[in-house]
Amino acid sequence: MAHATTHEHDHHDDHHGAPKNFFVRWCMSTNHKDIGTLYLVFSLLMFFIGGSFAMVIRAELFKPGLQLVQPYFFNEMTTMHALVMIFGAVMPAFVGLGNWMIPLMIGAPDMALPRMNNLSFWILPFAFSLLLSTLFLPGGGPAGGWTMYPPLSLQGDSVAYLVFAVHLMGISSIMGAINIIATILNMRAPGMDLLKMPVFVWSWLITAFLLIAVMPVLAGAVTMLLTDKYFGTSFFNAAGGGDPVLFQHIFWFFGHPEVYIMILPAFGLVSEIIPTFARKPIFGYKAMVFAIASIAFLSFIVWAHHMFAVGLPLGGEIFFMYATMLIAVPTGVKVFNWVSTMWGGSMTFETPMLFAIAFVILFTIGGFSGLMLALAPADFQYHDTYFVVAHFHYVLVTGAIFAIIAGTYYWLPKWTGHMYSETWGKIHFWNSVIWVNVLFFPQHFLGLAGMPRRIPDYNVAFANFNMISSIGGFLFGASQLIFLGVIVHAVWFSKKKAPDRVWEGAKGLEWTLPSPAPYHTFDVPPVIHDDELAHGHVED
Amino acid sequence: MNQSTEAALEQSRKKGVRLTVTVVGSIAFAIFVLSLLQGLKYS
Repeated sequence: MAHATTHEHDHHDDHHGAPKNFFVRWCMSTNHKDIGTLYLVFSLLMFFIGGSFAMVIRAELFKPGLQLVQPYFFNEMTTMHALVMIFGAVMPAFVGLGNWMIPLMIGAPDMALPRMNNLSFWILPFAFSLLLSTLFLPGGGPAGGWTMYPPLSLQGDSVAYLVFAVHLMGISSIMGAINIIATILNMRAPGMDLLKMPVFVWSWLITAFLLIAVMPVLAGAVTMLLTDKYFGTSFFNAAGGGDPVLFQHIFWFFGHPEVYIMILPAFGLVSEIIPTFARKPIFGYKAMVFAIASIAFLSFIVWAHHMFAVGLPLGGEIFFMYATMLIAVPTGVKVFNWVSTMWGGSMTFETPMLFAIAFVILFTIGGFSGLMLALAPADFQYHDTYFVVAHFHYVLVTGAIFAIIAGTYYWLPKWTGHMYSETWGKIHFWNSVIWVNVLFFPQHFLGLAGMPRRIPDYNVAFANFNMISSIGGFLFGASQLIFLGVIVHAVWFSKKKAPDRVWEGAKGLEWTLPSPAPYHTFDVPPVIHDDELAHGHVED
Repeated sequence: MNQSTEAALEQSRKKGVRLTVTVVGSIAFAIFVLSLLQGLKYS
């Protein structure tokens, strides 16, 4: 297979390793590994900030009545929790994983546009400082929900901050997506044909096209919000001839593909991890790739299932209902292929595999409740209830976040050169998987019983399940401190050196490199041999 | 891989990256403008 190369000659000294100066290394870096690390650290920070907002929400909902916070602050917390988790934690985590691993997986020396890569990252801390600073403004922060529906979202004084922060996040995402597309299409090592790429790389290529297609739509939508608020336009103002429902159409044209932006790279990650620990090539490689592409296509034609309750024409409701249910087909292909990969495999259950298996099972539960919500007549009952909250948290927490955690455990030894503590990894896993279900499963029952979302107080009839959910929430939150501890230990304190091929069943270019991966890799493109590819030989 | 092949690879990568950035960047900008135009059309 490919022989890992680190350039040891022909270059100036500073090409041999990381710059010694802290500022130069981390603020001016053009190295994909350093920028990947920055993204991952930033996303972990945002994960804990967004998580602390969730703790406020669950503490307030621990029992009926107003306990700890004022209703406006509660609304700020729900809004900020979503914005921070979506744009600050999940998306940057995948960009970080992509930054670190895509060049290593395709045999490229770096990302195609390293300076733009630096800019893409460094926009984010400014965007989130701006967004989070609104919590300290006299008028308070955004409190109209992450969906920013007018006229509600236009009532606060922080609209300009919110819009500018969203613009910055969008610019960062678009630049990141352009970089990933340019890297995958142009920087692959000779012989790394498109259908030889690892599924994770494929999933990111497709996700990057989704980002290109929908982030400008979000930018357009929030620009119109801004002009409605400050420049006297009436895009969404019925009194001026506009239409508030227009915003919902534009927002969800972005918003639904956004859901897949957060889950397709997770599919890719799990498709790397399961074959490694099942010691078998992925079952149905091409079907997996086409399924991701099909899901991406379908994500553009289902947006109005978020809006069944606004009074769509019957034909529209039927179309969006069936189109949404159609997504179950390629998703089912993926789930069956993951199971088939495990079937008959020589499986072991290290922490990444445990999280990947939990992903398959729990994401499928989230998918099934999504099918229930896709049914237009049923959605009239479920709409704006805790059932929706339960559904999307199963998809995003036990889906996207479990996959990110699995990916982190999977590649952490390659990044740091040290093994993490498997015992503590498993303690983290079992705590996470138990408490996440205690947290979110009762929310299905609350929703079915009629508890609305985004309320700080509720009927006493909902008290028990809310208390159980809050206890699960606190313990799930606390469990993530174990994750932080495992990472800190692996980076600074672990004595156990990681081998080059960290996992016995791991295949792919990244495992041919030393651990930790050298600062510069694949300056000389590697030679690709089919039989050593992660997914095995692909028939033409 | 000899030096001339490496240089040719580098050159073709640069050309490809420039083309990709131009096409994909233009698509992103066009979608932004189109979304504003749609807003103007329906409001």
